This record gives sequence, C-alpha cells and structure tokens, in this order.
Amino acid sequence: MGGNKNKWIWLAIGGILLLIFPFILTLPFPRHLMIMIFLYASLGLAWNMIGGYAGQISLGHAVYFGAGAYTSTILLMKLGVSPWAGMLVGGALSVGLAFIIGYPCFKLAGHYFAIATIAIGEIAQQWMLNWDWAGAAVGLTLPILPESLINLEFHTTKAPYYYIAFGIFVLTIWVTYWIDRSKPGYYFKAIKGDLEGARSLGIDVARYKFYALALSAFFTSICGSFYAQYILFIDPDSVFPLMLSIIVCLIATLGGVGTVWGPVIGAFILIPISEFTRIQFGGGGKGTDLIIYGFLIMVISIYQPFGVIGLSKLLRKKEST
Amino acid sequence: MYSAEIILQTIISGLLMGCIYALVAVGLCLIWGLMEIVNFAHGEMLMLGMFTAFWMFTLYHIDPIISLPLCMVILFFIGVATYFIVIKKILKAPFLAQILATFGLGIFLRYLAQFMWTPDYRMIKNPWLAGRIGFSGIFVGIPELTASIITILSFILLYWFINKTEIGTALLATSEDREAASLMGINSDKMFALGWGMGAACLGVAGALMSNFYYVFPEVGFPFALIAYVAVALGGFGSIPGSFIAGIIIGLVEFLSGLFIVPAFKYTFVFIIYLLVVFIRPQGLWGRY
Amino acid sequence: MALLEVQKLTKRFGGLVANDHIDLQVNEAEIVGLIGPNGAGKTTLFNCIAGFYPPSGGTVRFKGEDITGLPANEVCLLGIARTFQLVRIFKDMTVMDNVMVGAFNRTNLAARAKKKTLEVLDFCGLSPKKSMLAGGLTIADKKRLEFAKALATEPSLLMLDEAMAGLNQTETGEAIELVKKVRQSGITVLLVEHVMEVVMPISNRVVVLDYGKKIAEDAPEKVIHNEEVIKAYLGDKYHASRRAH
Repeated sequence: MGGNKNKWIWLAIGGILLLIFPFILTLPFPRHLMIMIFLYASLGLAWNMIGGYAGQISLGHAVYFGAGAYTSTILLMKLGVSPWAGMLVGGALSVGLAFIIGYPCFKLAGHYFAIATIAIGEIAQQWMLNWDWAGAAVGLTLPILPESLINLEFHTTKAPYYYIAFGIFVLTIWVTYWIDRSKPGYYFKAIKGDLEGARSLGIDVARYKFYALALSAFFTSICGSFYAQYILFIDPDSVFPLMLSIIVCLIATLGGVGTVWGPVIGAFILIPISEFTRIQFGGGGKGTDLIIYGFLIMVISIYQPFGVIGLSKLLRKKEST
Repeated sequence: MYSAEIILQTIISGLLMGCIYALVAVGLCLIWGLMEIVNFAHGEMLMLGMFTAFWMFTLYHIDPIISLPLCMVILFFIGVATYFIVIKKILKAPFLAQILATFGLGIFLRYLAQFMWTPDYRMIKNPWLAGRIGFSGIFVGIPELTASIITILSFILLYWFINKTEIGTALLATSEDREAASLMGINSDKMFALGWGMGAACLGVAGALMSNFYYVFPEVGFPFALIAYVAVALGGFGSIPGSFIAGIIIGLVEFLSGLFIVPAFKYTFVFIIYLLVVFIRPQGLWGRY
Repeated sequence: MALLEVQKLTKRFGGLVANDHIDLQVNEAEIVGLIGPNGAGKTTLFNCIAGFYPPSGGTVRFKGEDITGLPANEVCLLGIARTFQLVRIFKDMTVMDNVMVGAFNRTNLAARAKKKTLEVLDFCGLSPKKSMLAGGLTIADKKRLEFAKALATEPSLLMLDEAMAGLNQTETGEAIELVKKVRQSGITVLLVEHVMEVVMPISNRVVVLDYGKKIAEDAPEKVIHNEEVIKAYLGDKYHASRRAH
C-alpha cells in the first residue's frame, strides 16, 4: 500500500522544510513563533503521554514545567552548572515529583485525580511565590553569559534556539511514536480503556500509570528548562500558572488525544492564533486568549472529543461510504 | 503563645466561614451525587452569584439581603441552562470530555467576567448588614453571622425538600439508580436539570451572602471550589449533610492553621486533609460507597 | 497434584456470606463447570480466585503455590486468565490491539506479541475483523474478543464467566467448539454457566453452588438427578411434587 510510503515522504519533506526554515525567514519573529510552536507541541505531546494515552487527566501540569525551569536556573545561578546538566537534573527532579504526586493520587479515581492535580498546581505556585531563596514573587533573572552552546544562551540570533527547540520537538515526537507502538503504550491505552479489564490481563496499573506520568513530567520539565534559557527570566506567574496547564491540555485535546500527531497539529493551530491575538489585543490579550481557550475546550469536549484527528477520521469514513 | 481570646476568635471566624464553604459544597455534592459529573465550573458560578448581587446593588441599589432570592433564582436558571446546553450532551461522552467540558466552561466564564468587568476587586459599600457585635473581647461581623444563619437555614430547607417531599424523593431515586427510577416513571432528564438548578441556586444564595463582606472579582470562585471538592470528598460522596459538616470542619482547619502555621500555606493543609481522607477513608465520613 | 485447589474459601460482604467454606479442585486438562441459581456466589468465587478482591478466609493454591489474596495482575502472570460476564474490551482500540494487550503478558517485544496475537486471532476466528474497532463488534464477536484477549496471556487455567449468555443457537455452538479446542491445546477450563445445554455436554465435572455453599459435585449426568440440585433450582414444592409420584 502506497499510504505508508507517502507518509514517510511527507515527513521527510516537512522535516527538511523545518530544518531550512531559519534560512528562509531570517526575521526574529517567525523564528520566535516556530520556537513557541515547537515548545508547546512538545508540552502537548508530553501531556498526551499521561492524559491522552493513559487517560489520567492532569490539570496541573505546569508544576513540572516550573520545576524544570527553576531547577536548571537555580543550579546555574548558585552553582554555575551548565543548563544542559541542569535540564537533566530538573528532569530527574520532576520524575521524583511525579512519583510523590502520582503514587498517592493514582489510587484516586478519575475525578479525584484531576482535582488533586489542580490543587497541587495551585499549591506549588503559592509555595514558589513565598519562597524567598528561589526569588519568591520577584522571580529569577538569569545571568547574561557569553553566547555558547554549553551556556545555552545566544544573543545575536535566535537560530540556535530554533534548532534546539526543534531537537526537543523531534525527540518528543520520537518518544511518543515509540510509546504508541510499544508495550508501555499498549498498557497505557488499556488502562484508559478499562481499568479492571487491564488488570485482568496482567497489567500492574499503578506502576504503568506512574511510568506514563514520569515520562510526561520529564519532557515537560525539559521544556521548562529550555524556556528559562530562552526568555532569561522566570517567576511563579510565568512558569507555574493554571493558564499553562490549560493550554497544554487544550493543545493535545484540540489536535487529538492519544495520537502521535494530535498535539503537533494542535500546537500548529493554536499557537499562531494565540501569538497573533496577543499582538492584536495588546495587553488585554491575556484575558481574551483564555475566553477562547475555555470556549474551545467546551466545544471540543461536547462535539468532537477526539479533536482534529478524530474529525478527519470521521470525514474520511463518510467519504468512503 | 496566643491568648484564649484570639484562639476563640479564630475558631468562631473559621466556623462562620465554614458555613459558606458548607453551602458551596452542598451545591457541588447535589450535582456530583446525582449524576457523577463533577462541576469544574462551580467556583465560577459562585462568582456569578456574587457579581449578580454586586450589580443589583451598584446599578439598582438593591441590597444583597433583598436581592438574595433573586440571585438564587437567576443562578437556578443558569444551572438549568448549563445542564441543557452543555451537560446533557456529555452524559455518555468519554471521561476526558466530561471533565474538560465543565472545566472549559469555568475558564470561559472566569475570563469572560474578567473581560467584561475587569480583574478589579469590588466591594459593596454600606450594605444593610454591616458592623459587628462583640462580647468579652470576641468580635463577630454581622454580615458573617447573618450569612451563617442563613446558610444553616438553607441547608435545613434543602434537607427537608430532598427527604420529605415527593420531588426530593424522585431526586434521591434518580441519584441511586437512574434506570430503575426511570422505570418507575421518573424523568431523569428533568431530575438532572433540577439537580443542576438547585446546585447552582445554592451558589446564588452563598454568593449573595458573601457579597456583603467579601471582595468580588472574577477569580474569587476558584479557592471556594477547591475547598468544595475537598469537602465533598471528606463528607462522603453523595452525602449532603456530610458535605455540609465537612465544609464547616474545613473552615475551622483553614483558619486555625492560618493562625498557628504560616497563612500562605493554609491551602496546603486543606489539601493534606484531602489526601488523608482519600487514602484512609475513601468513602468519607458519611459516604455511600 | 491438582492445578487449582481451593480450600474452605469464604467471602463476606458486611453481613452477607457470599461464599461459605467452598472446596473446589480443578485438574489439568479438565473442563469443570460451575453452576447454581442466581446469587449463589459463582462470580464472587471467580473474583476471589482471580484476585479481584481477597477472600475473607480459606486458601487458593495454583500449581502448588499459595496465591490467596494476590492482586489480579499477579494472578494473571502466574497463569490464570479470566473473562468477564459484561465484557471488558477496550472499545476504542482495534480488535488486534485489544489482543496485543493480552499478548504482552508474556513478552516485552512488540514483534513477539504481534505474532502471538495473529495466532490467537486465527484460533478464535477473528482474523478477518482484526482492524475493526472493538466497540463496533456484534455481541457474539465481542465475547469472542474477550475470549481471545484472555487466551493471548498464555494461561494454564482459563476461567470463563458466563461467556455464552446472550448468544443464539449457532453462536453457542461455535463457542462450545472453541472451548473444546482450547482444552485440546492443553489449557484447563473452569466455566461458570447458566445455559445447561452448554455446561453439560462439555464438562468433565460439574460443581453446584447455592446460597454460597457447595451443594453437589459430580459428573454432569449424575448432577442433574441430584435432589439438592433440583431443589435449589426449582424449589421445595417441585421437589415435593416429584416425591409424591
């Protein structure tokens, strides 16, 4: 069947286009836009691992983003550790967090789990707002270091940031792809499909829920560390807010939960819209964004819970009948 | 360390605020117990209740005490409308959709309010209920005291309605076994709508009462909703009296931990209660399951 | 040594005794039927053996090992697979993927799981439908899928909970053939059934439960003439009227 081959060809073309993109459009804004798209797509993909595949709805995912951002930043500022190492430490910390949060909370049935994640998200933000050593409400401004790969800071051009973000994006897609085809992925889907049924087939539900959350937390955290290095300023409101948790969830849901390309599609649709409304409505854009996000989440859940991918499958079915 | 008066003051303040939490929790419990759907927009509906009272006062000079029945009715209709427009369509939807639908609604309402009414904190100036009464060094705000009394009365009224009237019994039947109830001629659709209406009406009452002494702003509802979730879990899934008492207990714990431990972390304690309940006694103190 | 040995198994739910000191033995390559009127405690017994809840008393031994109270997933790993009366298929996944989940019980490699899955699908007659979404199957096919999933976990003992309920004549015939094929392939079967035409022809032995207690255990032909069994199903008056003749 030519379908699969076609898919690889399209992927290759897309990949090449994305790789040479910074050389076609050399202005900073398009690069920034693509960096944001890659970042949010990765975040959406990461959320998808626990929310889309394993069916455990986390509404407080920002906690891992913030953990990654703060860990790598603090390690850099207090101990001079390279952000790359900081990223990995942040990732490990987030996995630890996932364990502490997940193990108790996974015993909770769906609603209770979602509530717990909202509460944890809020509490984490509150703690960070009050933790003076970590900057409290003022936040942390990253030191301006000489431009280099080790320092993960670039000042003259966004191009290196672009490629790093692209790298993270490709990595997250690849991991999702692996999950989709492997034992953990099948087990995640089984847990989402029917918990008791999954158990009766030999699945250690608690353990696999944790694996899903750990994977998800790790990649979310990496994105957080990258964000810190890109923006060079973090505070509880930018890395721990509810809004981030919402957007991440929306991206995956809009595109199609439980699929490899769903969150990617979601990010490619949502982020440009969000960046443009920010420009249009200026400062007040913050609120308007969220009105639309809230509305979108509602509409998607009611009419097409399987997102854009679900919609396209439906349309294709209609065509063939 | 702290004088007996301060401790007693804190306890009383906690109990009074707890009554508000209790009523909010009861509204949530009604809906949750009836159809196992969690209203993640609960806090925002409370916020709407508060804003309704606020605008009644600011635009039409109707005092919150007078507008209370009106707030109740308006929120009742908002609840019913929510049921027909949103909830009915997701009754059979996948779990993700059920959570996200009300969650999305909450976000939508919150930021719409922020857009229309700005994030500014508003306060009703000089309502009829104002001032405080004191005895032996303890001061109790009159609005807070009245609010507690009215919430307790509302709860009693609600309890009577559910347990002693025919419609109430129909509600109970639907919540226990929807199919069996419909086999007996009870229209579950109407029951669900009624449940949502009543759940939202509780928020109308609570909102009107709170507008007497609490700041009104778009994000106000969120902490109350969180506390309501914890209260329903603590009180026991499906138990309305349980949620009420749990709400009061949480008010106490919140205020006392705010006094004895750093105020900034008081929600952490509420959440710890939540975790403890769900682990040690998942059916809550008075729960059905 | 018996494959499965249940001794004095008791399960209480509050004040209700669902299983009362039940003894049960299943030998390798047997097909044992478990019957009894509604509410006799058959599914409860299943759930206790398979690890869905721990029994209140008694022991369960499998291949000589004590497995009493082990959680369901561990029981499956040890070699006991079960189906559910109300099928627990993964309706948003394809038939093939459903069975893959079961196949991963014995391997970590997707390729091996896939091979096993295709074998099982073929065995159960589901190969033509392997790319269909499980939610869209007919009841008979859903039951077949439930069966296939359990089979893919490579059990030594397969426990079927009312697998024939809701099937028509043809479908029931096919299901019986499938159970016989399973036994031929070396897997022992314990089945709970309501449909007498199914249990009697294929079982080596039949165990009868009533009100939580075991009231009879014998070859099928003998069990249907057992007075206690008749009384359990048809009540005292019938029994009395028979005696009067």
